[in-house]
Amino acid sequence: MIHNFFVLSPRGDTILAKQYRSSEMGAHERTHTEAFFRKIQFWDDTKSVAEDAEDISTTSLENKKRVGDAPPVFVMPDGLTYFHIRRNGLVLGASSARNVSPNTVLELLSTIARIFKDYCGTLSEEALRKNFILCYELLDEMIDFGYPQVTRTENLKSFVYNEPIVVDSVPLTGNMVNPKTASAAAVHKPVISSVSANGRKTTGQQNSEIFVDILERLNVLFSNNGYVLNSTIDGCIQMKSYLAGNPELRLALNEDLVIGKHSGKYGSVCVDDMNFNDCVNRNEFESARTLSFIPPDGEFVVLNYRITGEYPTPFRIFPSMDEVSPTKVEITVLIRAEMPSNHFGANVLVEMPMPQGVVAAASCSLINAPGTGHASAEYVAAEHKIVWTMKKFPGGAEQTMKVKVTLNKPCTTQIRRQMGPINMCFEIPMYNVSNLQVRYLRVAENMVGYTPYRWVRYVTQSSSYVCRL
Amino acid sequence: MHELRMELHSTDRAVKVDAVKKVIASMTVGKDVSMLFTDVLNCVQTGNIELKKLVYLYLINYSKTQPELTLLAVNTFVKDASDSNPLIRALAVRTMGCIRVDRITEYLCDPLSRALRDEDPYVRKTAAVCVAKLYDIAPDLVEERGFIEILHDLISDSNPSVVANGVAALSEIAESSGKDVMRITASVLQKLLAALNECTEWGQVFILDSLAKYTPADGREAEGIIERVTPRLQHANSAVVMSAVKVILSYMELMGSQNSDAIRALTRKLAPPLVTLLNSEPEIQYVALRNINLIVQKRPNILENEIKVFFCKYNDPIYVKMEKLEIIIKLVSEKNIDQVLLELKEYATEVDVDFVRKAVSAIGRCAVKLERAAERCIAVLLELIQTKVNYVVQEAVIVIKDVFRRYPNRYESIIATLCDNLDTLDEPLAKASMIWIIGEYAERIDNADELLETFLETFEEEDPAVQLQLLTATVKCFLKNPEDTQDMVQRVLDMATEESDNPDLRDRGFIYWRLLSTDPDAAKIVVLGDKPVIEDDTFKLEPALLNILIGQIATLSSIYHKPPDSFVVRRRAGLPTEEDDEEDDDDDDEYDEEVRDSSAGGVDLLDMGGMSVNDHKQFTPTAPMTRVAGPEKAGGIEVFSGFVQEGGKIFMELEFSNVSAGQDISTFAIQLNKNAFGLSPANQQVIFQPPVSPGSSGTTRVEMVMNPAMQVPTPNGQNVNPQIQVAIKNMHNNGVFYFAVNLNFECLFSADGEMEKTAFIEAWKSIDDRHELYATVSDLPADSTSIEDVQQKFAAYNIFFIARRPVPNAEGQEVVYFSMKSVHGMTFFAELTFKRGVNAAKVCLKTEATSYGGLAKSALESLLRSD
Repeated sequence: MIHNFFVLSPRGDTILAKQYRSSEMGAHERTHTEAFFRKIQFWDDTKSVAEDAEDISTTSLENKKRVGDAPPVFVMPDGLTYFHIRRNGLVLGASSARNVSPNTVLELLSTIARIFKDYCGTLSEEALRKNFILCYELLDEMIDFGYPQVTRTENLKSFVYNEPIVVDSVPLTGNMVNPKTASAAAVHKPVISSVSANGRKTTGQQNSEIFVDILERLNVLFSNNGYVLNSTIDGCIQMKSYLAGNPELRLALNEDLVIGKHSGKYGSVCVDDMNFNDCVNRNEFESARTLSFIPPDGEFVVLNYRITGEYPTPFRIFPSMDEVSPTKVEITVLIRAEMPSNHFGANVLVEMPMPQGVVAAASCSLINAPGTGHASAEYVAAEHKIVWTMKKFPGGAEQTMKVKVTLNKPCTTQIRRQMGPINMCFEIPMYNVSNLQVRYLRVAENMVGYTPYRWVRYVTQSSSYVCRL
Repeated sequence: MHELRMELHSTDRAVKVDAVKKVIASMTVGKDVSMLFTDVLNCVQTGNIELKKLVYLYLINYSKTQPELTLLAVNTFVKDASDSNPLIRALAVRTMGCIRVDRITEYLCDPLSRALRDEDPYVRKTAAVCVAKLYDIAPDLVEERGFIEILHDLISDSNPSVVANGVAALSEIAESSGKDVMRITASVLQKLLAALNECTEWGQVFILDSLAKYTPADGREAEGIIERVTPRLQHANSAVVMSAVKVILSYMELMGSQNSDAIRALTRKLAPPLVTLLNSEPEIQYVALRNINLIVQKRPNILENEIKVFFCKYNDPIYVKMEKLEIIIKLVSEKNIDQVLLELKEYATEVDVDFVRKAVSAIGRCAVKLERAAERCIAVLLELIQTKVNYVVQEAVIVIKDVFRRYPNRYESIIATLCDNLDTLDEPLAKASMIWIIGEYAERIDNADELLETFLETFEEEDPAVQLQLLTATVKCFLKNPEDTQDMVQRVLDMATEESDNPDLRDRGFIYWRLLSTDPDAAKIVVLGDKPVIEDDTFKLEPALLNILIGQIATLSSIYHKPPDSFVVRRRAGLPTEEDDEEDDDDDDEYDEEVRDSSAGGVDLLDMGGMSVNDHKQFTPTAPMTRVAGPEKAGGIEVFSGFVQEGGKIFMELEFSNVSAGQDISTFAIQLNKNAFGLSPANQQVIFQPPVSPGSSGTTRVEMVMNPAMQVPTPNGQNVNPQIQVAIKNMHNNGVFYFAVNLNFECLFSADGEMEKTAFIEAWKSIDDRHELYATVSDLPADSTSIEDVQQKFAAYNIFFIARRPVPNAEGQEVVYFSMKSVHGMTFFAELTFKRGVNAAKVCLKTEATSYGGLAKSALESLLRSD
């Protein structure tokens, strides 16, 4: 299986490294990971070599700037195949000289990332550095001779003796933070009792609680006249369990849930495909749409589902473009929230790229519906795009943005084509598009006086919500 | 450092723990803390597990870099291996396995065999992996101690992790040894299928991967297994899903066509999980897409209705987008072409240059693929050309050239548009394509000569590809319109033949020149002749390669779309076979001996009876005797002759039957004519001891030596005459007789013909395929096709075994590689293919010494036939 495993910091420093096979190449591992980091940082798969000088300089610069363009699996000159994934800025990587299953290695890497997070509380450079002995201990149990071993949080508990040192969770940057939807602080605590950074044990009763998220990520593509061209929902039910005593749980979904597009049955919720975590017992699933399982410690995905085809999109986008004069273009973007009015979109961000180098000025004006939180729209010249943000977008409301763009040369088809597409990011708390519901979540056996806290959240997020202009 | 040492000796456990942690901390940042080794080691004598684990962490690190140092701790390991705490037992076994020195093996074996039968599953599972580790160091020991048998037992263990590791260890050993230690029998199969439901996710992957290597006996069995595997498609772990897909796809082949209903049902079941993989993280998506690329080539109907899911998302990473485009082209059909064109048109306006270019070229590929939609595709391309974006236009021109080649004389109307954009072209490929179009359709373009003229101005600075196209296009133009272009063609030919130092260009120039000056009509036929229409290349992998790759789904092969041997690093950098990567050649020899020894002890682990010598015939080279002269010619003597090599010397074996009525015969003189091998007798005298009396016969040997002066050179390309002409003089009566004998070539193979595997591959690859010789030897004597036997027999003739491996996707077939070297220094390489149960073999021989190849080949054939 894998020859070595390593975690690199965003700057390329090795945080953790472990070798499972004696290096047949003879070179020192550190130089290899350095070469590897350079490679993924400056991935440049130059096939088209001969471009004119100007082109080369711009494209290669662009290529070098783009992070995350390296495919997750590739061969390095040392003859080893390197795998990597990125999590929270860290690069988790592995290499192998054999014809291994790439899925296995990549899944293993994400599992390791998850376990580190479960044990350290957060997955960050600082957390790993502070807890490196714990991480090595975990690694020793998780991988032996390159083969994955125990990778379940709760099973690992009995083999691990180090205690985690909690670091303050890095404040999440970006605009998706919202007290309603960001995970509760409790979710950032390690699964085993911990010592805080100053060496004191965290005291206090462990609350018996379980967090359940029904998370749906939407991929929608609108044509420029507002029709839905393509739409899918990636959904999952995620849990993070801190239940004492690991009782068996029963989770019931909609009774009329239909799986399979071509099954010919009809139901209020129809998913194309569903897959399940290992621990889930599906005996009663066919008959009663009920799952039973003993929740593993830490964060885990109970099931994933996928829905394609028609479903009511929470937001509809209607763009229009007018050429007022050869150098002036007016773009109007109307967005209508189609979910019920008791829900709202939060942290709505609408971006619209503008052509490079020809926009002389762009002024934006907004027509807000009542109930909208703080909203603003502006042209960010450095990034060549219009950015429109809204704190809150109530259901049933309509928002319009008018942009007047002044160009420094006459507008050609090519320039027009470089405008757009409109990309929208949002999250809608306590709402899900598919209508998949958790009917109940209860402890299978009646235990007197055992009332775990259940936190059930529904969240709808945009994954790729794009409208062509 | 000193302080640390003090702390390590502290009596306070907490201080000790902290100290060890500090040591480990400095170790991981690269500081050398080996001088504290004994101090740390002392801490291991503790009942505290936390401290013990820390010490082991320290030890494991040094087990890699300084194994000798770790050997100091070996007693601790052995002691801990029988600790009462299972955690510590496992820890000890695990750590010992990581120490890669031979000496550890003597300590490891006993604790390991105890651990394999430990009552605690955690210890058993650790021990299972440890067997694989031990195999890496001392494969013979593993077999001797019967550890492989125990691993087989572990497959039916009650604990799923143990099963998983048992399977993993067996697969590891099978892969590194090339031996079928994982042989799946009916009972093993049942065990595996049962374990599949119980196992951890990783275990499921290992089991599925070994199932994929198994070939079910018939369609019914295949169907049965598929039924058990199908639920795995719903697993959340993509590795499990992918491996299950692999098993199902491989077995589907076996279900045969009479089962089309079942196959159709399976096809329907495969689509949703594959599509679901596209909703995972981009990394998994990438792997899935590379695999789907293969799957849609093999079974396009699985995903024929799902093309929409491969449409690129705005925020997909570029590597995912590129792969999606590939699949869109593969799935495009007349039903969905309009939708696809709309998408591709959108992509062509995105920011990423590479992606845009690929999208443009995809539109052209759709046109080439779908005749009915070609017109629509071209309309889109024209629309894109109108945008005048430099790289879009160039890519469009390149791909339109292919469209012209696919549909000659159909879409010339667009040439005018293309000509408008000449000045945007600056890449060689785009320029060359445009020039090709101009030349091909010169008669339709009014100002073709002017256009070419503009390109000619910069002829000398152009890329060779452009120069070649310019040359051809000018000549075409001239042939179509001789009056106006005479000057131009003269100039081009001058530049091509006199000023260029590119041999291709020069040669092509000379050809045209000569054609034009001798026979312009012939030139027309040659230059303007009909060209073959190009074909749709979307299903571009060779069927044979595709079949191999389908069997390799869910492995790296499927990512690179290359068979595994082309990239997997072997310890000895590349073998032609799957085997032996863990052992080098010396190990091989030792290993054979080990097997012999152990077979004496009654343990024949690997069913390698053929290798054990006790009950087997020994092969000694013999000379194939042929009757070369009858008594009427040779003065009452019947002569049989043949050649043999013994002890590195070559002998001519002579058998004389004295059928004369006269006297005993004993002394002769021998002389050889010049021959192709340079053989001549070392000593001219031939003496039969005892003398051959009338009515009886006797044999003798004449030692032969190489004498270059006696060699008749064979012209290259001609086959060597194997005949050797011999004159014999009977010293008693001075009677001389002549005969000719064909040399059996195997006697000339020298003992130093053994080769390194790496060298073998290099040599094998370096020889042009045209120099391959093939033969099929059928009707071999029964039971002579055991590869072990053949190997032994060949070895006796200095035909050296290099490697063997099963033919992928061909059950029961194996190829074996041999090398040999003649005493003259000519080397020959042979590949023999055997099929189980068939008394025939295919021989393929490669050599640089082509004249002698035929002889070597027939030598192999006759050896195969001989007993």
